[in-house]
Amino acid sequence: MNTQIWKIFGLLVTALLLATCAPTAQPTAQPTTAPTEPPKAEAVTLTVWDQFQRDTEKAVIDTLNAEFEAAHPGVTIARVVKSFDDLKVTIKLALSDPNGPDVGQVNQGADMRAVVQGNLLLDLTPYLPKYQWDKRFSAGILARNSFTADGSQFGTGNLYGVSPTAEVVGVYYNKEKFQQLGLSVPKTFAEFEALLAKAKEAGETPIVFGNLDQWPGIHIFSAIQHILLPDRTWLDNFVYGQGNVSFDIPENVQAAAKVQEWVKAGYFTDGFAGIGYDDSWKLFAGGQGVMMITGSWLSGDIVSTGGEKFGFFLLPPLEEGGKVLAIGGVGLPFCIRAGTKNADLAAEYLDWMVSSRAGELWLEKGVLPAVPVDKSKVPTGTLLGDIVTAYGVINEADGVGHYIDWAGPTMYDVLSASIQELMAMQITPEGFVAKVQAEYAK
Amino acid sequence: MGQLRQPRRRLLHVEGLKPGQRWYIGYLYLLPGLLIYGLFVFLPILDTFRYSLFRWDGISQPVFTGLGNYAALIHDPTFLTALFNNAVFIFFYTVLPILLALLLTGLMTRRPLPGMTFFRAGLFVPQVMSMVVVGVVWRWILNPVNGPLNQLLKALGLGAWAKAWLGDFTWALPAVGGIGTWVEYGFCMVLFIAGVQRIEPTLYDAARIDGANAYQEFRYVTLPGLRSELVVAIITTLIAALRVFDLVFVTTRGGPGTRTLVMAFHIWRNAFVVNNVGYAAAVAVVLTVLILTVSVAVLTVQERLTREE
Repeated sequence: MNTQIWKIFGLLVTALLLATCAPTAQPTAQPTTAPTEPPKAEAVTLTVWDQFQRDTEKAVIDTLNAEFEAAHPGVTIARVVKSFDDLKVTIKLALSDPNGPDVGQVNQGADMRAVVQGNLLLDLTPYLPKYQWDKRFSAGILARNSFTADGSQFGTGNLYGVSPTAEVVGVYYNKEKFQQLGLSVPKTFAEFEALLAKAKEAGETPIVFGNLDQWPGIHIFSAIQHILLPDRTWLDNFVYGQGNVSFDIPENVQAAAKVQEWVKAGYFTDGFAGIGYDDSWKLFAGGQGVMMITGSWLSGDIVSTGGEKFGFFLLPPLEEGGKVLAIGGVGLPFCIRAGTKNADLAAEYLDWMVSSRAGELWLEKGVLPAVPVDKSKVPTGTLLGDIVTAYGVINEADGVGHYIDWAGPTMYDVLSASIQELMAMQITPEGFVAKVQAEYAK
Repeated sequence: MGQLRQPRRRLLHVEGLKPGQRWYIGYLYLLPGLLIYGLFVFLPILDTFRYSLFRWDGISQPVFTGLGNYAALIHDPTFLTALFNNAVFIFFYTVLPILLALLLTGLMTRRPLPGMTFFRAGLFVPQVMSMVVVGVVWRWILNPVNGPLNQLLKALGLGAWAKAWLGDFTWALPAVGGIGTWVEYGFCMVLFIAGVQRIEPTLYDAARIDGANAYQEFRYVTLPGLRSELVVAIITTLIAALRVFDLVFVTTRGGPGTRTLVMAFHIWRNAFVVNNVGYAAAVAVVLTVLILTVSVAVLTVQERLTREE
């Protein structure tokens, strides 16, 4: 009797032990087999996490990956594609995993600060002489992917990533509608507002917009804010956390008031609060509305749905020929996990992703590359031509602005929620500015 | 019945034992399940409680703050908003579905109707679908530009009622809550219909002979007979209302402003977006305690009612 119980108990325990041992047994088995093979013939798998999930973007990365594999025999690239939201949330944990991805895209600002502070990213500064990324990118662009080693200072210190694509937020417009309504690309902000009024009078939706996903509203507010600011000083200080600046400045109150004015005038899509971003740009690409204020990242998708019908211009300055400043920057950089065994290969991969070949591929697909490309290859009078020109203008004038939600870990939350409140007339422009400042001061 | 109650042949021969001896044999049977439960449920919960005592960004060295996170919680307006929104969700997840399900049960069980199985299955479908699918479908239905709901309202001449449902500061919470009602009532209904089939038909016959009308039959036969099903429905839907996350995540992300922000979403944002893991853990602990308290309270009330009978 007793022995029977113990037999059963023993069986259970062994079964459990076996069950718990199984997963750990696999990783230990791998290293024992690896060293027996000669290092030359050793197949290396480079695991890369990126967020290029839209069809056009995906094709570019797949092409580049295939070419990289062809140029590096024995190397296999294991690509993991995630949406931006998904990647943003999972990459930090993945980088802290000793078997995590070798290369991954990390959102700049607060996210990158957190992983730099956790010593999870490889400092790329030693690779600068070899790949001369500092010649390919301007200092202001590299600054966006830089932190001091302890993560305390943003915009300076070590380089932690290189970005394949560039971005600029401006105004997409429907050329047919412009012709029908007798509109032309505005040279001043006042002219732009006159455009809005004219389009509204003609019974059109002046600005196609959807804010259910919360972040597009930040771009509307901030695009106007960039125009109203006298120069970029405050913006740099605010985003890099220098100079003890406050969000509570007259320009921000004015920009917030302007947003409310446009909402009241009915310049945005009716029911914008309940429309998702993807739904909104599909409406615009499908021919609804006259303009849309958003980033160059959409150009690929809009080109693929009939790009010749659309054009792009920067939100114009207050006075003709005045200061140039627009939300913009570089896309999510590729970074290398600090603990990777394939650091040199990963750096080679990073360089591959920001090569002039990569730039041409991006351009082919209608996406603005971060690396300088032969501008003669860009046809004039097309949407992409407009965007490349616009980026050239702000780049030359040092007018590449910022995403203001980079300023702190909770800035995205407070900005997205309070701009929804602002656009629903739930708070005043003064109340909005005070609310954001209260969070910024924390 | 009687047959089932007969003592079955025991698997282990323990007749030689005196009462009270070898009490641990039962626990041996529990051991495998207990180990798995402990490893994957109990330990993580304890770990979460431990995290809640630290200020931690999820990566660097945690700093011990004692009950600091809990103190901060009381003064966090966002947390209080989330708590309030969860309370509203209880109405949409528990009260409304149960009332609806009772009504439907009353209608469906009184007389056999043709096509009843079809209706029953149809009404249960939302419960079977993944919440993400439900969210995506409803986001489309409620789309203000080309969603069917607003189109229908406009076609009926009720264009003034058409709204940006999920983005409207007044209507977003009822809209998301309404989706919850749509998901939960089918589950309650199936539960209640099964319960009604368990009630002795003679009770209904007796009631009818006594001249009870449809309402009285429902009130004095069906409802008391459904007590245990009601408790299950209440507890399940209450827990669903308190831990709602997926639906909010897919439809509104807590917006507009913080109108549909719920506790689970607040936890997710703090833990994975804002890198405030300690604080998120504190909210999670509060949520767990709340769910346990509510469940125990419902069970206690049920036990007391049963004893009174």
